[in-house]
Order: sequence, then C-alpha cells, then structure tokens
Amino acid sequence: MTEPLIRLQGIQKYYGDYHALRGVDLDIRAGEFFSLLGPSGCGKTTLLRVIAGFEGVTEGTVMIGGTDMTRLSPNRRPTNMVFQSYAIFPHLTVAQNVGFGLRKRSDLNRQAKDTLVDDALDMVGLDGYGKRAAHALSGGQRQRVALARALVLRPKVLLLDEPLSALDRKMREQMQVELIRLQRQVGITFILVTHDQEEALVMSDRIAVMFEGEIAQLAEAEALYRRPVSRRVAEFIGVMNFLPATVDGDVVDAAGLGKMVVQDLQSTATTAGDPMVGFRPETATLLFPGQQTEGRVAEGRVVEVVYYGDMTYYDVTLDGAEKPVRISMRNVFGRPVLDIGTQARLAWSPGAITLFR
Amino acid sequence: MLRVYVIAFLAFLYAPIVLLPLFAFNDSTVIAFPLSGVTTKWFAELWTNKELHKALGNSLFVAGISSVLAVVLGLAAARANVRYRFPGKAAALGLIMLPLVLPEIIVATSLLVVAVRFFGWNLSLWTVIAAHVLICTPFAIAILNASFQSLDPSMEEASIDLGETRLSTFRLVTLPLVMPGIVAALLISFTISLDEFIIAFFLTGSDPTLPVYIWSLLRFPRLIPVVMALGTILVIISILMLTFAEWNRRRGLARAGVKDTGGFL
Repeated sequence: MTEPLIRLQGIQKYYGDYHALRGVDLDIRAGEFFSLLGPSGCGKTTLLRVIAGFEGVTEGTVMIGGTDMTRLSPNRRPTNMVFQSYAIFPHLTVAQNVGFGLRKRSDLNRQAKDTLVDDALDMVGLDGYGKRAAHALSGGQRQRVALARALVLRPKVLLLDEPLSALDRKMREQMQVELIRLQRQVGITFILVTHDQEEALVMSDRIAVMFEGEIAQLAEAEALYRRPVSRRVAEFIGVMNFLPATVDGDVVDAAGLGKMVVQDLQSTATTAGDPMVGFRPETATLLFPGQQTEGRVAEGRVVEVVYYGDMTYYDVTLDGAEKPVRISMRNVFGRPVLDIGTQARLAWSPGAITLFR
Repeated sequence: MLRVYVIAFLAFLYAPIVLLPLFAFNDSTVIAFPLSGVTTKWFAELWTNKELHKALGNSLFVAGISSVLAVVLGLAAARANVRYRFPGKAAALGLIMLPLVLPEIIVATSLLVVAVRFFGWNLSLWTVIAAHVLICTPFAIAILNASFQSLDPSMEEASIDLGETRLSTFRLVTLPLVMPGIVAALLISFTISLDEFIIAFFLTGSDPTLPVYIWSLLRFPRLIPVVMALGTILVIISILMLTFAEWNRRRGLARAGVKDTGGFL
C-alpha cells in the first residue's frame, strides 16, 4: 500500500486536567471520504482541529503528505476547513469570500483569480451569485459558499466540521448527495465530523467511531454496521436487539432463540456487562400464517406495531425472553399487517448474529 | 399612576436642559422669567471670544487623544476578555471597570496627588489626558465587549485557515467586523472627555478645558447667557454624537446578521 496522505501517531491532547484525546493513531488515504463519528464530547472535533492546526497536541505527530506538520500553523497546511457556522465573512461579497484565500497567490493575475472563483461557484451551483452580499444569503447558500471558498484553493484535504447540522432534514439529504458528488468530482480527501451515524454511513468510504478521546472502531460503513467490535459501537450505529445469553465452550444459549454454535455466528464483540447476542431488526423475519422456512424459527408474541408506510416495525417478545426485540419488515402489497397480540413465528439465522462477551 | 410617574421623572431629568436654549435666546442678562425678547447676540459673542476658542481647542485636543488611547486599550482588553481565559482575569477586568462607579472627585484627588507628589509632573493637558483615558477606557471596553461577543471566533480561524497571518486577519476580518463598535466607543469616549469637569478642573494647569473655562465664566453674571448659548451647542453636539454612535453600532450588527447582545444605550 502507498503512503497514507495523513498519518496521526500517538496523538494525546490535554486541556488542563481534561484528557481530550487519548492516544489516537490513524491513517487516512488520499482521495477517500473519511468520517469521524461519535457523540458530543468524544474528541472528534478536537481531532479535526488538530489536523487543521487550530489545536496543538500534547504528544504525538501529525504527518500530512509525508511531512511532519505537527507544529505548523493552519495557514501553512494544505488543509482547508468548512466550519460548523460556515464563517462566511459578512462584510464581503460572495465572490470576495470565495476569492479570499487567493489573495496571497502572486502567481495568478486578477483574471485568472476571477476565473477560478467563477468555476468554484459554478461547481457548488451558485453561478451568478458572485456580486451578492454574503450576509444576505440563506443557510444552504452560505454552506455552498464555504465549500467553494475552501475548494478553490485545491487543498489536499477538506475538513468538514458538522457541516449539515444547521440545515433542515430535506436540505441535509440533498447536501449529502451533493457532497458525495463533489468529492468524486474533485478527488480531494474529505474528512467529515458528525454525530449522525446515518450521515456517516451514507457518505463515507471509511468511518472512525470515537468514544472518550479514543477510536473505538475504524471500518468501512458495511463492516461497521454488520460487525461492530463492541456493544457500545453496536448501540451507537443503528438499532440492535440484545438478548441475554450464556456461553459454554463453543455453545451459546440465548434467551428466546435457543442454542447455537459460535463458529456459525457472524462475529463476536466485547461488552462491559453480561454476555449477550445481538441482531439487526432487518435480519430476522416474521412468518405470516402458512408461510414456511428452512431456517431456524423462534416463537413469540407481537406487543407493538409501528406502521411507516413502506415499512412496519414490530416489537416481539420471544418466549423465554423478557424484553421485546424489534423486527423491521418491508410491507408487501395485499398482505395485511399483523395485529398486536398475535402469536407469531420469527425466522432467524445464526449467520446474522453477533456475540457480545 | 405609573404613566404619571414616568412623565414626572422625565421632566425632572430633562426640563433643566430645555431651559438652556430658552435663556440662550433671551434678550436679557438676567436668568429669570418673564422672557424679554429673542436675540442671537449671545451666540455672536461666542464667535469673538478668543479665550473660549482656546479652551475649546484644548478640549478637542484632550478628547481626541484620550478617546483614541481609550479605544486602543479597550480593543486589547475586550479581545482578551472575550477570547482568552487566564488566571486573574475577572479581578483584572473588575479593576479596569472600577472608575465607572468610582466618584470622580476621588479619582481626581488621588490622581492629583500621584501626578504632583509621586511623579513630580507639572499639570498640563497631558495629565488631563491620562486621567480621561482612565475614565473612558471602561466605557470603551463595555461597548467593544459586545462587539467581540457577537463576532464568531470561526471568522478569524477561517481567515487563518485560508492562508492569512494573525496580523492580516486582524486587518482584513476582525477590524472591519468590530468597526461599528470601535466608532461607537470612539464617539462615546470623545463625548465623555469633552463634557468631563471635575477631573479636568483638578488636573489642568494654565490651559483650561471648555467645561473648566465655563465654570470660570460663571463668576461674571453678565456672561451667563453666553454660557447658556455655549451649553446649548454642546448639548446638541453630544446628542448627535451619541445617536450616531448607537445607530452605527446597530447598523453594523444588522449587517453582520447577528443578535444585539448589549451595547451601552
């Protein structure tokens, strides 16, 4: 494998007594869409600001493009940032904002700079907005200006600090798609900080999940979802059903599901508490009356039905288990939704199960 | 009941000021009712009084220099206050803001003792300037604090991220964005220094500032209407400057698209 674009080694960061980053090692490849995902206060924004150069480190090195940049100030790093508040300069026009970073480029004449600014505005879908006053823009437009202002400099890395959190749902989904398109178009490495696991899954090539200043898991989106390394990661990413289990050698006995062999399971992971098995809501199916299956079947009672139009969520309490598990089913035209109180059979497979111990 | 109270309160506060222009245009050296006719000769006399012009020049000199110094100090203090955390910050800021509530007579007396006894300075306009910087700086800080608080710290970071240095960032981003606050602080400091009497009275040497000169005029009853005329002009100038300062500050906030988080008026 070639040299990574960014290599973080043993990053430690203290704020007084507060230990914000606890030994982060991370390689980020050139051209990938990378996400730092975690709850607020996990250190993801601090890590982004360490890469940008806004925060110094207590220990460790930051290599960008093979050069040690640990002590370099942000204006001398090949990184640019899109801030959470966008930080559009309100006293300048849109074009002056986008051209701000080009001021120092003495190798370009005025005309060349204007062309670059126009191209950048074009790229984010704001062609013709150059002469507008920046303070009169809407939230979504500010975000686009912030993107253009950073991308016009062709940085090696674009850093995005929760860029979509201020937008409403519809606008957010639209911008997600647009950011992916933009990243493919320019081929620049994007590093996104987000607390929204869905956003991270949708957008990223790879995701680092962070808790308490440490990387808990680094994986591609699908691997992260299907094979979480710990119960904490599993709970943070999507929905997972947990059932208490006992482990005897290779045999796992889970409440409501029965016995299974460790080798058949999808993966094993760690937990701080008692052993559990877990599975995702879409990996098991409720069998309708008369329906047959060759796989394994568990018995239970439907205790809650949530209808979403295209999907229905069923909460099912399995015989022998205390808490209900959630099953998501795609609705099929002409087939009725099961009622609360129905005795139901659940088809499941050990291959979709993760053991937490 | 509350309405009556408010009207009485405002009348008590502003009625004396209304009397000022009334007698400034009254054709009599006696300040008493009934009024005896309209004249502008008191204003005309202002034009010919050389000593008064000198005093006005002194005041403008003092107000100009002390307001600029107060705002420069205020800028540094306000930025440090809003952006950084350091030990002893609250105490330091409290001490800087203290002259705001300290009786001026105490400030004046102690400064006189310090200037003459400890430093052995001769009293001059510069001692007045030093003292006026002391009392104007808290006002400047109060206004500039609001400006820096409404300035998103990411603005400065964005500029540095885009390749500018700290110094060029201050010039290109920070200064333009807090400029309305700077203008407001300058105007208010200028007005305070221009109107200030007690400290100037204690600390001027042979060059009186305008308020001190007006005080000396009061010994000559014949000249009291002239003082009234001068007072009228000063009141109008003060009101215009304070109004402009506040208008300018609010316009700046509106332009930056942020909420008003304070200010002085």
